[in-house]
Amino acid sequence: MIDIVGIIADDFLNILMITFGGVLISLGVHLVPVGGAPAAMAQATGVGTGTVQLAAGAGLTGLVTAGFMMNATDSMGLVVASGTVGAMIMIAVTMLVGQWLYVYGVGCPPASAKVKYDPITKDRQDLYVSQGTEGHGIPTASFISGVIGAGLGGLGGSMIYFYLLSIENGLPEADFIGIASIFAIGLFFVNAVIPSYNIGGTIEGFHDPKFKRFPKAVFASLVATFLAAIMGVVAIGGM
Amino acid sequence: MSAGGGGGGAHEAIPQNNIIAFGVIGGLVGIYAAYFLVDMVGPYMSFLGALGAICGIIWGAAAVRRVANYGLGTGVPSIGMLALGIGVIATTFGLAVGGIAGPVVALVFASLIGLVVGVLANKVLNMGIPIMVQSMIEIAGAGAITIVGLSTSMMGTFVFFDEIANGMIISQGVASGVMTTGYIAVIFIAGGLAILHPFNANLGPDEKQDRTLMLALEKGAIAMIIAGIVASINEGASGSLTILIGLALWYIGFSGFYDRVKRDAYDVVGTGMLPSKEELE
Repeated sequence: MIDIVGIIADDFLNILMITFGGVLISLGVHLVPVGGAPAAMAQATGVGTGTVQLAAGAGLTGLVTAGFMMNATDSMGLVVASGTVGAMIMIAVTMLVGQWLYVYGVGCPPASAKVKYDPITKDRQDLYVSQGTEGHGIPTASFISGVIGAGLGGLGGSMIYFYLLSIENGLPEADFIGIASIFAIGLFFVNAVIPSYNIGGTIEGFHDPKFKRFPKAVFASLVATFLAAIMGVVAIGGM
Repeated sequence: MSAGGGGGGAHEAIPQNNIIAFGVIGGLVGIYAAYFLVDMVGPYMSFLGALGAICGIIWGAAAVRRVANYGLGTGVPSIGMLALGIGVIATTFGLAVGGIAGPVVALVFASLIGLVVGVLANKVLNMGIPIMVQSMIEIAGAGAITIVGLSTSMMGTFVFFDEIANGMIISQGVASGVMTTGYIAVIFIAGGLAILHPFNANLGPDEKQDRTLMLALEKGAIAMIIAGIVASINEGASGSLTILIGLALWYIGFSGFYDRVKRDAYDVVGTGMLPSKEELE
């Protein structure tokens, strides 16, 4: 029988850091410009797919880059930085290619319908929004917001991965890495869906009024991730 | 903009409680039957695990149908990914800690996380869907049964660790056979798709429960065939029977779905061949 209380007491720092990682993912999702189905028809600002798909794409890339760095070094800073940058590159490429499609394919200028002036470039937005749409394309503020959001997501994901892998146990290394990765992916999906319910499926970035709702999702993610982190640490620590 | 759903309760011909019983009992019976009969009869009995997973998939699809009918605002796929995300966490925990009771522990703990997420969604995120809590419990539980069932049918066992005697591996466990090899990713997507896709494909004002669930059976059968292909390279499980039964179930599911499409549609007509170049000019 596994000594559950002992494992939780020994690895309490890991549980806290995994929970913190989940909270970072939840916050990061609020910053990524998710347009959902309307954006796929160029009728809303953001990338034309759901939160989960965007977060999963960025998060899994972050895990791959973090895992690659983990292969070379044990330094937490380098592993986490590698995961962060991997996720940022992934979302930046996704947004850039999406932008090409909106500009050259659909033929609409990137414009936000939520603010009159872009908070970063100060360009006028409302004149360029087509009638009957909620903006289109990915304006500069949304792009920068998305890169920051993916960075937070990648940071959170690679922290979960790193702290799962620093739990002491008797598993063969290959099994340990496999289990830690799939566990991190599971947590990533849970923490990507919770904020997406909070924002109702679409958000433009930090300038969107919906962004102010983020404390609710952060709290929800905190509770859900804490529970899952205890289960993960007990399962892996008891092996 | 809310994607899908009429903003109200869904009409159901089969009461949800019957489907819950079908999913839980059918799923667990299938998984345990596979586990014991593989030992007693032979590796080819591993197909029972996939049948258990199909029970879980149909249950999950029915629960997704009920909750997504209120309009989640994010599209239906998110809830399927949430189900499998919770399911994979609970399954790792349940199988690692539970031993022979692993599938039950996984189901219980998946329901527990589902309960917490459901309460948070309604109380903190103010989603205001009356059946959210019950549905999240059901969806998470169905995700766990799907993962355990498909893993059992791939490996012939749900024991988590390799059985080692005198330094030799006697039988491979789920940890090294499904998780380390990466087949868990196949389960994740095939199982998640089977739970989320049926309602996503059928949603609309003319959505009918039996048509949606028939599509769930068809998607579950595809997951079963894939599990059979994986099982064919594992010693503990045999793939041929899993693939054959999977193909038969797929045919039943697909023809049943197509019959119901023809029943519910105003008319089904063929488009004929494309007009030739001369006809167009």
